[in-house]
Amino acid sequence: MEPRQIAVLLEQAEVQRRLGNHRGATELAQRALTLDPDHARSHAALAAILLDARRLAGAGIEARAALALDADDRYIHRVAAAVLAAERKLDDAWAHCLIALDGPAPAPEAFVLGARLRELAGDRAHARELLHEALAIDAAHVGALTQLARLELAGGARDEAARLIALALEADPANPGAHLAAGAIDLARGDAASAEVHARFVLAVDATDRDALALWAAVQARRSWLLGVWWRWTMWMSQRDDRRQIALLIGAFVVVRIAIIVTDELGLATVARILHLGWLGLCAYTWFAPALFRRMIARSLETVRLDPDF
Amino acid sequence: MTYQIADEPVETSLRSYVVRPGMPLLASMFAGAWLAWPWFAFNAIAMGSPTRRKEIALCAAAFAGTAALGATVIALFDAGVLPDGAPLRLAVLGVVTFKLAISYHIAAVQSRTFHVYEYYGGPVRNPGRLLGAAYLLRGLVIGLVDHPLWVIIVAGGLPRWHAGPWGW
Repeated sequence: MEPRQIAVLLEQAEVQRRLGNHRGATELAQRALTLDPDHARSHAALAAILLDARRLAGAGIEARAALALDADDRYIHRVAAAVLAAERKLDDAWAHCLIALDGPAPAPEAFVLGARLRELAGDRAHARELLHEALAIDAAHVGALTQLARLELAGGARDEAARLIALALEADPANPGAHLAAGAIDLARGDAASAEVHARFVLAVDATDRDALALWAAVQARRSWLLGVWWRWTMWMSQRDDRRQIALLIGAFVVVRIAIIVTDELGLATVARILHLGWLGLCAYTWFAPALFRRMIARSLETVRLDPDF
Repeated sequence: MTYQIADEPVETSLRSYVVRPGMPLLASMFAGAWLAWPWFAFNAIAMGSPTRRKEIALCAAAFAGTAALGATVIALFDAGVLPDGAPLRLAVLGVVTFKLAISYHIAAVQSRTFHVYEYYGGPVRNPGRLLGAAYLLRGLVIGLVDHPLWVIIVAGGLPRWHAGPWGW
């Protein structure tokens, strides 16, 4: 009875994950693991959900547990590759992805992941090739269409990106990833109102979805240059891992402090004081801007209403 | 008994005292390490963080590392190797940089658990009054011991405008 129960729970978890309901999906995968803590696929499914919810530490532990229990399952290698990619271990991720792609009839999802890895490695041509392979298996694969649309957007082909994302939304009108990509494309085309509609759609399902909040915030940033500057800075920083972010902030602090000490020792007290006040002003701005931003988003979210059928 | 995910915080009786990791980090800049590092350690325990041992060890390493670096700077100054003025101020800046870097690192480690804690609806306290009181009290704490090593260890990460040679 248990294997059947576990399979049903994992199936339901996958449905919830695709809908963007991470909490519901997590609970279902946890129930599967409560029934059998050594079920490799359940660990892998939980890793995939935690990864979507940006709980990287938990995702890493679950993916490694799944690999330790079953190193021959291509699905587990695919999940492990996705987790490693998020940990920025791109070479290891690619090695697992190749195992996921090896053998007869690989899943289109493995091609989509491979494409993301090639894109991260700067090889857009190979990424495009892999996505076309995924679409050759399933012409309406939402993940592949969305990824290809994002790839075209990054390459500046906004109209082609819009065409592809329209196909993705036609195939699955409730797909959160497709909506977020559509919002990003609309924003790039200068249509902030339409981008906001897409962000609202995803937030109505999960008001804590970070990608949807990021899209929402990007829309709000277009309306205030003061917050817009902070938003661009935040986005630029968020592309770096914790260590690099800390190194950049500390580096900036050290440079300013050295400038203050040197100008002060040279008798340029006024210059040193201006540098000191400027630095404090910058600190205050970077502290208050996110607080203002959060308040603005919280106020906007009060207008988000859940679908009565949700 | 539900399967426990490794990154989930455990229930504690101190949950109502949990603050955002950015708050002890702010305290490290404006009040001093005397408050920030013990606060980080307390927050890790209150949150039931699965990485609390690592966080507490980092706090202890922060105190020990600052003491070692501070003692080295003072010894070099007393031996006349490090002259007063810009060289001494730059050396103290090195210690301040270490303190800030380790505080940021602890905050980054604690933030990972905090996001999960907040995700499951854990209560978060606003410590504005405590921060304000600590800012006013910092002079008193720093003046408790009249030794440069004490000043180097407990002073804030952002030196005052008219800071003395030891950063206060």
